[in-house]
Amino acid sequence: MAADLDKTEIQQRILTFVTWANWLLFAGASVAGLLIATPEMVIGIVCGGLIVTVNFHLLSRTLKKSLAPPCIQSHNIILAKYYLRFTVSGVIIFILIAGHFVHPLGLFIGLSVVVASIMMATVREITKLLFFKEAM
Amino acid sequence: MEAEALKFFIACVTAAGFGIAVAAFGCGIAQGLGLKAAVEGIARNPESSGKVTVTLLIGLAMIESLCIYALVIALILIYAHPQAEAISKLFGK
Repeated sequence: MAADLDKTEIQQRILTFVTWANWLLFAGASVAGLLIATPEMVIGIVCGGLIVTVNFHLLSRTLKKSLAPPCIQSHNIILAKYYLRFTVSGVIIFILIAGHFVHPLGLFIGLSVVVASIMMATVREITKLLFFKEAM
Repeated sequence: MEAEALKFFIACVTAAGFGIAVAAFGCGIAQGLGLKAAVEGIARNPESSGKVTVTLLIGLAMIESLCIYALVIALILIYAHPQAEAISKLFGK
């Protein structure tokens, strides 16, 4: 029972950390880009970061509405939202790359914001667990 | 020489097509497996939906980002290849 509570706490902590770290990393990468990179690179970082961060929040809302009882949304609405989100992201990335509005490397850095924040959260929790176990 | 240059662009488009196909295939299977396990878990124990949803969200975000990476690489290969200009010049000669 206590182990279950502990796991829930860790998961909730990871989600909160990832949610905040997304915006912080996005802001940090954008500012760093503004200081040291070309305008195309900055636009790439900003657009990529915005795409994945907004995507992450929309995915979170969709999953909470679809899997958390008691008010579960209709499957059709969930599927429509999922495909709409994915299509819009794809079209935006296509326009950005095909129109040469952004530097591909900048876009790649921007798109890595969520992955980086999840990695950071995982490393943080592993470190905490290791230190906690050692202290025990 | 022109034929070689043309072959290069054909190879780029083929690589992009196969790349996004393999990525979509892998990500589709991975998301399906994750979702299957999550729904089974919630069906067995509805009270755990909150916990399962959080873990699923992070997993799906990671898997989805892999597919987006593949899409970006495919689009770069087709529309913004770093060597496209040099090859085009070669093609013009």
